[in-house]
Amino acid sequence: MNNAGKEKMVTENAAIGNQAVGNQKDYKDLVFRTIFLLCALLSVLSVIAIITFVFTKGLKPFFGENAYSFSDFITGLKWDPGKEVYGIFYMIVGSIIATLGAIMLGVPIGLMTAVFIAEIAPKKMVAIIRPAIELLAGIPSVIYGAFGLGVIVQLIKKVSPTGQGESLLAVICVLTIMILPTIITLSESSLRAVPKSYREASYGLGASKIQTIFKSVVPAARSGILSATVLGIGRALGETMAVMMIAGNNIGGLPGSLWDKIRPLTSNISMEMSYASGRHQDMLFATGVVLFLFILVINLLLIKITSKVGAQGTKN
Amino acid sequence: MKNNQRKFKDGILQGLIYASTSVTIGILIIIIGFVLYKGLPGVNYNFLTRMWDSQTTIVDIDRNSVTGGSAEENYVESLGITIALDDGYIIIKDIKKDSPVENALNIKKVPYELKEKDVIAKADSTTFRDITAEEAVEVLNEGTGAIRLKVTRPGGGIVPMVISTVYIILLTLMIAAPIGICAAIYLNEYAKPGKVLNVIRFAIQNLAGIPSIIYGLFGMLVFVQNFKMQYSILAGGLTLSIMLLPTIISTTEETLKEVPNVYRQGSMGLGATKLQTISKIILPSALPGILVAIILSIGRIVGESAALIWTAGTVAQIPTALVGSEAGAATLTTKMYWLIKESADLESATSIAVVLLALVILLNLLSKIITKRFLRNRTGN
Repeated sequence: MNNAGKEKMVTENAAIGNQAVGNQKDYKDLVFRTIFLLCALLSVLSVIAIITFVFTKGLKPFFGENAYSFSDFITGLKWDPGKEVYGIFYMIVGSIIATLGAIMLGVPIGLMTAVFIAEIAPKKMVAIIRPAIELLAGIPSVIYGAFGLGVIVQLIKKVSPTGQGESLLAVICVLTIMILPTIITLSESSLRAVPKSYREASYGLGASKIQTIFKSVVPAARSGILSATVLGIGRALGETMAVMMIAGNNIGGLPGSLWDKIRPLTSNISMEMSYASGRHQDMLFATGVVLFLFILVINLLLIKITSKVGAQGTKN
Repeated sequence: MKNNQRKFKDGILQGLIYASTSVTIGILIIIIGFVLYKGLPGVNYNFLTRMWDSQTTIVDIDRNSVTGGSAEENYVESLGITIALDDGYIIIKDIKKDSPVENALNIKKVPYELKEKDVIAKADSTTFRDITAEEAVEVLNEGTGAIRLKVTRPGGGIVPMVISTVYIILLTLMIAAPIGICAAIYLNEYAKPGKVLNVIRFAIQNLAGIPSIIYGLFGMLVFVQNFKMQYSILAGGLTLSIMLLPTIISTTEETLKEVPNVYRQGSMGLGATKLQTISKIILPSALPGILVAIILSIGRIVGESAALIWTAGTVAQIPTALVGSEAGAATLTTKMYWLIKESADLESATSIAVVLLALVILLNLLSKIITKRFLRNRTGN
């Protein structure tokens, strides 16, 4: 019998026992039940409110009189609010490339570290490494930005042919570091969730420890690792403060190499929000809408993956 | 042959595993090292105890002879203070007990106690510029009765940001904690599988994935502009409350799930109502977990910047109201951002980073200790 069924029975039993006490308690229970429900519904309301307000303001410049062409906005390669030119295509490209780069570096490093923690490291070592990872996860993004500016940008400046440190490469490096804790913790827990019998069977067939890990344990944990990756994509795409300090934030042009400056969607918003007004401000919200759409797709993907994992879990 | 190949492959993979782990740990060490190396020299007593902006005040003091330090150099007997020349300015070096400067009043007749290191810029009509300490003593001892001083208290400290951060933490938790806990109770104790539950879960999962800059945009639009709160701690607190709901709800729900079902059945079997069971049995045994949820949220608030810059502003002041221009407040993190972006002052910024790191480590430790205790208790049962 499932939990809900059990609880229902218990509630009914309790209700019979309480009949003598009268309706007052039922009434009180009902009031609190309603309060609890309203609190839970507040999250639904918040999502609706955020979408409504941000989208309403962000879509305003594309409708009505003197509307800005949406295709110019989405395909434009130049952002110059002074001349009423608002194109964000090169920002979308910058955001996507930076995110992909961070995932390509961060997922292998993170997964390997997770394998070390979950499968190889002795307990004493785990007791040191795990808090370190948690600390890495807890460091505010502004500090990552300062680190990027003070260390990574300076290093890149020395080797870059353009002589400038703020670049796509710097963004990729910092984003890789920032998604590592997410990838590691989620991959680790999904590796640990793989039943022991998988390992035993693999050893029994004569596989070595490394073979067991990569041929049997990691494939069995793949949906967890996948959701870690998707979550990492969301983090990287939405990261603002650290990225803004090191991206260079050029006013136009697609990035041609790792040394080029980029202007991610998030930093476009945060760069100019403090002084923007009128159409300019609306356009920053429109940038937010585009970012939001990306994030929504990623969220839906993530929810789909995790619900699949949940379904698998009950099957086992 | 095949065995050798296998060993070779295993070796490479093993090497990669060790290398990756070293990279991860190495990065953490480099970051901490960088912050400490660059920021630690700027962290001192003044940095931790002073206001951010220097503050100039005009005070009236009733002079009253204090003989405590007459042996010291440059002692002003009528005020009970020792002064000194510091970099061209006359500063208060030492204040004796019962000195009248402790009862100084500003122009609005509000007490403004002078402190050591305050700079005296003017006494009555004499401006203290290009003046020796001896001359200053003479001016300060001249005449009897009340004296009017123009005093500058040097800034450069993080006190306003620390206080603002605490205010925003308290405000956010006062809003988000009850709502989040109640929502978690509903989800774990009342909700039956179905459409409503699915919608709520979907909303929470989405809320958790929204980047903080979107929360910042929303907070600015709704709380700051539509509700006319201006940049204020309330607007910041409300924005962060929404942002933290998913964290608080899911962490609390996990804890509630861990409360054994036997507790519920036992309580109800004894005739308690569901509400009584929740308030007397379930919540008390879930308390440590809820505490961990709150500590995690504090960590998020301390580190948040994108959602606060356009809702609480970047003014370094101690907020004295919930909304309006007196309520604008920069937290440690937003000030750090501001320093890097607006004044390219990486040194001061990393000094704040040292304080932030210390806070984050402290919070992590705290949650760890609580979890450990809690788990031990559980297994003990």
